[in-house]
Amino acid sequence: MGFIRKFNIKQEAEDLGVSVWQAPSFLFFLMGLFIILVMVVIYFISQFYDSPEVLVISESIVVVVIFSIGNSIIKSMEQIARINKMKSEFVTIASHQLKTPLSQMNWELELLLSKNQSGLSEKQLEIANTIRQSQETMARLVNDLLDVARIDQGRLVLNKEKVDLLEIIDAVINNNKILAKSSNVEISVIKPKKLPEIIGDKKRIAVVVDNLISNAVKYIEEKGFVEIKVEEGDGKINVYVKDNGVGIPDNQQNSVFQKFFRSNNAVRYQTEGTGLGLYISKNIVEQLGGKMWFKSIEGIGSSFWFYLPINNDVNR
Amino acid sequence: MIFTSMEKKKILIIEDDSILQKALQEFLIAEGFETLSALDGEEGVKIGKEKKPDLILLDIILPKMDGYEVLKAMKSDESTKNIPIILLTNLGSLNDVEKALGLGATTYLIKADYKLEEVAKKIKEVLNI
Repeated sequence: MGFIRKFNIKQEAEDLGVSVWQAPSFLFFLMGLFIILVMVVIYFISQFYDSPEVLVISESIVVVVIFSIGNSIIKSMEQIARINKMKSEFVTIASHQLKTPLSQMNWELELLLSKNQSGLSEKQLEIANTIRQSQETMARLVNDLLDVARIDQGRLVLNKEKVDLLEIIDAVINNNKILAKSSNVEISVIKPKKLPEIIGDKKRIAVVVDNLISNAVKYIEEKGFVEIKVEEGDGKINVYVKDNGVGIPDNQQNSVFQKFFRSNNAVRYQTEGTGLGLYISKNIVEQLGGKMWFKSIEGIGSSFWFYLPINNDVNR
Repeated sequence: MIFTSMEKKKILIIEDDSILQKALQEFLIAEGFETLSALDGEEGVKIGKEKKPDLILLDIILPKMDGYEVLKAMKSDESTKNIPIILLTNLGSLNDVEKALGLGATTYLIKADYKLEEVAKKIKEVLNI
């Protein structure tokens, strides 16, 4: 039964975004069918006409059939790849276009809220502030989309600079203090006094750390703790972020690092986020030579961790 | 020679989007600067050479002449090559940054990610005020 499910051509066509007649599985199946058919026909023909010419002709037919169907499969694959590339480029172009009105809103709101406030009622200011927050969320989403498109096109370029991971972690914790306090979450850190410098992209590593820590804080319902541990060992620097929050349901755990993954718990507990953070973070870590994993039990909490290699070649 | 320390610094804003132009002008004037504006690359170079501003804010995507060419034109002219130029744009790849800095831009800010206040702060940093 699993064998037949594997050949669910309609599903494959939908997944790949092509018509059923272009689905590689279908073409492969067709090719197999033709070969069997031709072989059967050849067998019967050879029963009546036992001559090498018939053999040659029939084998040529088989070869021609294999080549043409094979060609169709390749063309189909090429089209799928091309469409994929176009979609990625489209995301890049659309995101850049969005930056213009986003810049406009960014600055107009700033002017409104800083130098042109007189005459505005408190209610109006409150509304303007809400608009500003929405603009900021949108700007973050557009930046994330651009990063995702770059990752998909293999164009995400990471800086190579000396990075002090402890400094980054301290700064990120600081940035998340207000959020933590408002959710009654205590953040604690266990870290060594000093860590060797690593080579990486400071800004992007900060994004990774911020993603894990802010997620940990956001997914704690009422009151809880986030424990961060940094340790060096085995030529690597390991960073662990553990929380006692709502956790991720078992049946969703395979999709955690996928684009736009938002756990059911997220929607339920009304956390904001783009769903792209983990996809981008995992990719950044891997591009820097590390790995990221997690463990989670619904209702108990989650533990995310990653490591970055310590490059001994610090000479740039 | 008497220099008034209260002399306002002139900032040339080369940006084709009129909303962004006006927002920059309004903010910088309120911060005590004098502003000049150009809506395309050609006009930008013309005003830059005529008025010799203290600093130029330059977008990359412009009609008639793009930011890189404006950069080249300003840096290749003796009379304007020392005017600091801050690239204000929404293009963000590392290549764009390196290209701009390689052509002589002082620094590079992504519009959508920076507040007007931060732009003004950067200008003051570059001008040492």
